[in-house]
Amino acid sequence: MAETLTAFGWVVMLSMIITLWCASLVALRKTLSEEDKKAELITRQGAIESYSPRALFELREWIENHPNDPYREIAVQRYNECVETLKKTDESFYDWNDSQISNLERL
Amino acid sequence: MEEDTGLARDQWATRFGFVMALVGAVVGSGNIWRMPYVAGMNGGGAFLVIYLVLLYLIAVPGLMAETLLGRYTQRGVIGAFKNFLGEGWSEGLGLVVVIVNIGLMSYYAPVIAWTIYYLAHAVLGTFYQPGFDPTAFWAAFSGSPLLVVGLHTLVAVLVGFVLLFGISDGIERVVKWMIPALVVTLSAVAIKGLTLPGAMEGLAFAFNPEWKYMTDANTWIAALGQALFSTGLGWGIALTYGSYLGKNDDVPLGGGLITAVGNTSIGLLAIFTVFPAVFAFGLEPTTGAELTFVSLVSIFPSMTGGYIWGLLFFLGFLFATYSSGLGITEVGVTTVKEETRLTRTQSVIAVVGAWWLLGIPSAYSSEFLGWMDFMFGNFGLPLATLMILILVGWVIDSKRARILDLNHNSDVYIGSYWDPIIKYVIPTVMVFIMGYYFATNIEDPRAISGLALMVGLTIGSILLMQFIRRGKTNEPALTPGGD
Repeated sequence: MAETLTAFGWVVMLSMIITLWCASLVALRKTLSEEDKKAELITRQGAIESYSPRALFELREWIENHPNDPYREIAVQRYNECVETLKKTDESFYDWNDSQISNLERL
Repeated sequence: MEEDTGLARDQWATRFGFVMALVGAVVGSGNIWRMPYVAGMNGGGAFLVIYLVLLYLIAVPGLMAETLLGRYTQRGVIGAFKNFLGEGWSEGLGLVVVIVNIGLMSYYAPVIAWTIYYLAHAVLGTFYQPGFDPTAFWAAFSGSPLLVVGLHTLVAVLVGFVLLFGISDGIERVVKWMIPALVVTLSAVAIKGLTLPGAMEGLAFAFNPEWKYMTDANTWIAALGQALFSTGLGWGIALTYGSYLGKNDDVPLGGGLITAVGNTSIGLLAIFTVFPAVFAFGLEPTTGAELTFVSLVSIFPSMTGGYIWGLLFFLGFLFATYSSGLGITEVGVTTVKEETRLTRTQSVIAVVGAWWLLGIPSAYSSEFLGWMDFMFGNFGLPLATLMILILVGWVIDSKRARILDLNHNSDVYIGSYWDPIIKYVIPTVMVFIMGYYFATNIEDPRAISGLALMVGLTIGSILLMQFIRRGKTNEPALTPGGD
């Protein structure tokens, strides 16, 4: 058993610190700040959209490809809610731009 | 999108409270005495590298799936199964998860009891009296059934008391200061430990990678066990706590990433806390519970300011175990309250009473406790995890669950890599773990009895729920849940 940390030992130890402690702190900070941002937007404009552009695009694609799925109705409902919210609110929570929002249609 | 469940549901007051509760529920004694020595015994850095890979590849996505299930259905474990499969036999699968939790808590409560006893003696300064013998002290305590059963009863009262107040006024109020305090106390002891002469040897034991272990199947199994079960995956805690999330809350970060890495971060902190001190004083690092209750107790008096360090260590240890006790018990409380006509108070009394009664043999005999740990740890938890993950991966379908719900109100986008992990990888791993422990312990009566118990439990629960629901009109299957 080596009595001191080898170069690889240092690398492993520092990697653990970065991938665990730093990841925890960054994730905690992000989720708390996002919660504040959501709360502030909801207070100011009454609602926020529930999907990011990428997630909403994927949801639409899934709805179109699964016309007989038992969850289609709830998926459409969620899609439409998100579109309506984006159209009626001034500021979006996710990174939507104006042209993306104007191109959205209800299903 | 809200579904009227007919139940007024409590909710986390803040996301910080939810995150602390979930981290607190999964951080337990295993992080403090098991993580350090398992790492050290399995190639140090090599184990930790494997562990990290498995943590991010399996535990994080798995916890997301479990939390998602709770937030989507807004129900406890039985309600979650009922939501997708209708009333009857399928509720038995949820009942298995509840029983596994009650079984786990029955032998975990005595561990909390040990911690209370040692904290009390750390306060009284017993460890610092001349002629104090930690081995004899431990033997006298663990060989005193009445004392341990009495403390086991105290644990039941303490856990039940907080749970009576509910989610936001009970659990959240306690954990949002307890978990930060745990981090502070362990950090203080770790800093002290790192200043001891010989501390570097402890870090070398834990972090120097012995690469030959990378190709050893036992190292992978050990890392897998630590990555999965120390993060609480499949216990139903993430599902239960997730069911108290609001509709705008995020699942992937709060329910998955922070829980898994936060829990392991405390395990890493425990490595810095335990190993430098253990090596500085030339102790054996692989003794499990004895490491905490005998070895560490023996070194605090030799440290400058040992009274304070011992006190802080056992205080942190109590926070870790107690917050886990709250989480494990809440799984049953939420479910009993939802599925019966009992009030929350009655549900708390019923669930706490059940594990208190079942835990008396474990409190009475550490040998029995070992049996319970072997059976529930090696077979019960993988079984519960398998059921929950099959529900998300196959019944709901992981791709559908991700697109429809995981990325709903999510602070980060989760891509399609998540789908096969939930659908194929984790269920395969769970079956493998049960098969592995059975095959490698086939001559051990605990393996046969453990597997038989779990099979019997599953069949019995399914039959019981089928019998209870017989004659009642089933709810339509595949009814979408809460939000």
